[in-house]
Amino acid sequence: MRTQVAGYRLRIEKRGETRWWHASLASVLAIAVSLFLLGFAFLQAGADPRQVYAEIARYAFASQFGLPQTVNRAVFILLCAFAFIVPLRAGLWNIGLPGQVYAGTLAAFAVAYLFGGKAGINAALPGWLVIPLMILAALVGGGLYGAIAGFLRGRFEVNEIVTTMMMNWIMLWLVAHMIREGGPFMGRTAEGEGFSLPLSVRLPQVLNVPLTAYGAVLLALVLLFFLAKTTLGYQIRVLGHSPAAARYAGIDTLFISTLVFGLGGMLAGLAGYHYFAAVPGVYKIPKSYGDFGDFSFYGLITGLIARSHPLAAIPVALLFGGMASGARFMQGKLQLTFGIDYALLGVLMITMVAFQALSEYRLSIERVPTSVALPLEREESRVESPHH
Amino acid sequence: MWNLLIISLAAAAVFAIAALGELIEQRAGILNVGLEGVMLLSGTFGFMAAKTSGSYTVGFAAAVLCGAVVGLLHGVFSITLGSNQVVNGMAIWILGFGLTTYVGYPYTGPLGLSPLPRVAGLPPFFLLAVALAAASWFLLYKTHLGLKLRSVGENPSVAEVSGISVVRLRYLSVLLAGVLVGLAGAVYSLVYNPVWSYNYLQGWGFIALALVFFSLWNPFLVVAGAVLFGLLWQMSLYPELLFPGLFSRYIWRTLPFVITIVVFVLLSTRWFSLRWGATKPAALGMPYTPEG
Repeated sequence: MRTQVAGYRLRIEKRGETRWWHASLASVLAIAVSLFLLGFAFLQAGADPRQVYAEIARYAFASQFGLPQTVNRAVFILLCAFAFIVPLRAGLWNIGLPGQVYAGTLAAFAVAYLFGGKAGINAALPGWLVIPLMILAALVGGGLYGAIAGFLRGRFEVNEIVTTMMMNWIMLWLVAHMIREGGPFMGRTAEGEGFSLPLSVRLPQVLNVPLTAYGAVLLALVLLFFLAKTTLGYQIRVLGHSPAAARYAGIDTLFISTLVFGLGGMLAGLAGYHYFAAVPGVYKIPKSYGDFGDFSFYGLITGLIARSHPLAAIPVALLFGGMASGARFMQGKLQLTFGIDYALLGVLMITMVAFQALSEYRLSIERVPTSVALPLEREESRVESPHH
Repeated sequence: MWNLLIISLAAAAVFAIAALGELIEQRAGILNVGLEGVMLLSGTFGFMAAKTSGSYTVGFAAAVLCGAVVGLLHGVFSITLGSNQVVNGMAIWILGFGLTTYVGYPYTGPLGLSPLPRVAGLPPFFLLAVALAAASWFLLYKTHLGLKLRSVGENPSVAEVSGISVVRLRYLSVLLAGVLVGLAGAVYSLVYNPVWSYNYLQGWGFIALALVFFSLWNPFLVVAGAVLFGLLWQMSLYPELLFPGLFSRYIWRTLPFVITIVVFVLLSTRWFSLRWGATKPAALGMPYTPEG
């Protein structure tokens, strides 16, 4: 595609290779443009977007109530992002984040349930035993549930997008079965929500932040090492680059696809454990558990924006954690309708994809020699060389 | 029981029309996994238009227009920019899910228009779906345009060499698909279940996507599959009609999704994949860059 504007020739062409800063710039631009577009929603509500964003930032990152909320949401997003990144490195799409989050959550609460955690909030359970078992159960539950989609993909070439999506809905209803209408995990007093964890099995906090937050940061480093420096990590990346090459190289593609979905499921299961069993003020499967399933898709967009880089995902997750907690706060303050954070999710996703696609192209601007730019002379030159 | 069947056919209409749209673009080599998003957008805007204007016609027109625009958007990414079609489809889905949640929320609740009458005792849109299946079969297999459409989905370079514009035909296919999928979104939100609530579509777009694979890209099998899933869905909603007292109602709700996975796996087994491989458009999901 080329056009000529005021003596300059503009040409759009595909780049030979995309450098990392092109991709990073695309990510930053996508966030900036999305926040700009979202500003119109605030304008429509009769507020100055600049003030709104200032208030969101103040609430999310500098207030006593907002900051822990931001961190807890960010940790959830970050773990979901990891759950999305690992399969994506192998070229597979894990959109089963909600299902795996619920699977991990149900498994963790099953442990508490078996130890008699439903008896009441003051039940004295051996926390040193139950807490690690709950975490383990969340990892196993999420991992097994995730691995199904990976196995089906590797063994039968079943499209993982369709299976993981179906499995989200299956788990959504299974959670409903467990916590509603006399389900085994139903709370003793509240209708339609799960029982509250006893005080003795709630995950301890350090500096007002549950231990899972520190674990998530540690996991970022572990994942970075695993994906970049180990044989398995290498095999995962080969499969992602070219399934055919992976088969030629003798890589067991069935094993790798099961593995990446198993790992992804474990990480998503841990995210479920974090939000429902470790965040202060929750400690149960709430009525609105479905919202957190939807919320896990922020992990998807975080993974895409961070270009599948575990460390880069940390600041992105913090930003979105802050946006989500701040947006809910402003929603109440400005009387906005429900779902401003969902709107951001949608707009982010499409601008992100647009900028990533565009980052593969470049715009070259050349100055056209002035003599040619003059219309009269251009006519003449055309006459001189008809094949030009 | 008879009523159950009728409602199932109404549900089947939604599955079938959406899947037929997807089938046409897949035949031309374009894979849109964001069907759910297109249907959410068109269904929501159609609902808003119909509720504001009080007219079905306006609602359907808005939905079809919206579907066409979103289909073209997917086309710009997938055809002109040539970026990964799965990523683009995912983007369309999340856009639909996120945006409609915010935009549609003030319209939460019933549509409040008098329901459309049945035609010969059947839901009108089911009859339309059957007609559309016949029409798309005729278009794809009995016309010159259909041959060209299929050729750009099988081997775009050869098609281009024989004088067919791959880009133009693929745009035509996403436009047709957008119109049909947009219509399907409105059939859900205006006719099948005219009550808006957030994320109301409950994975129907993904089931419709799976249906296209199930049908081995055959329009009539799409309708048959849609009827099956319509029945399954109704059974999962009213299990007490068939199996009173067995399982909780929530367990039954998982049924259509479990069956989707099971059928999907069966179809992908070795025995089936021989046929599957033969019917799947060879260039499905692959961007086409003209040489030179």
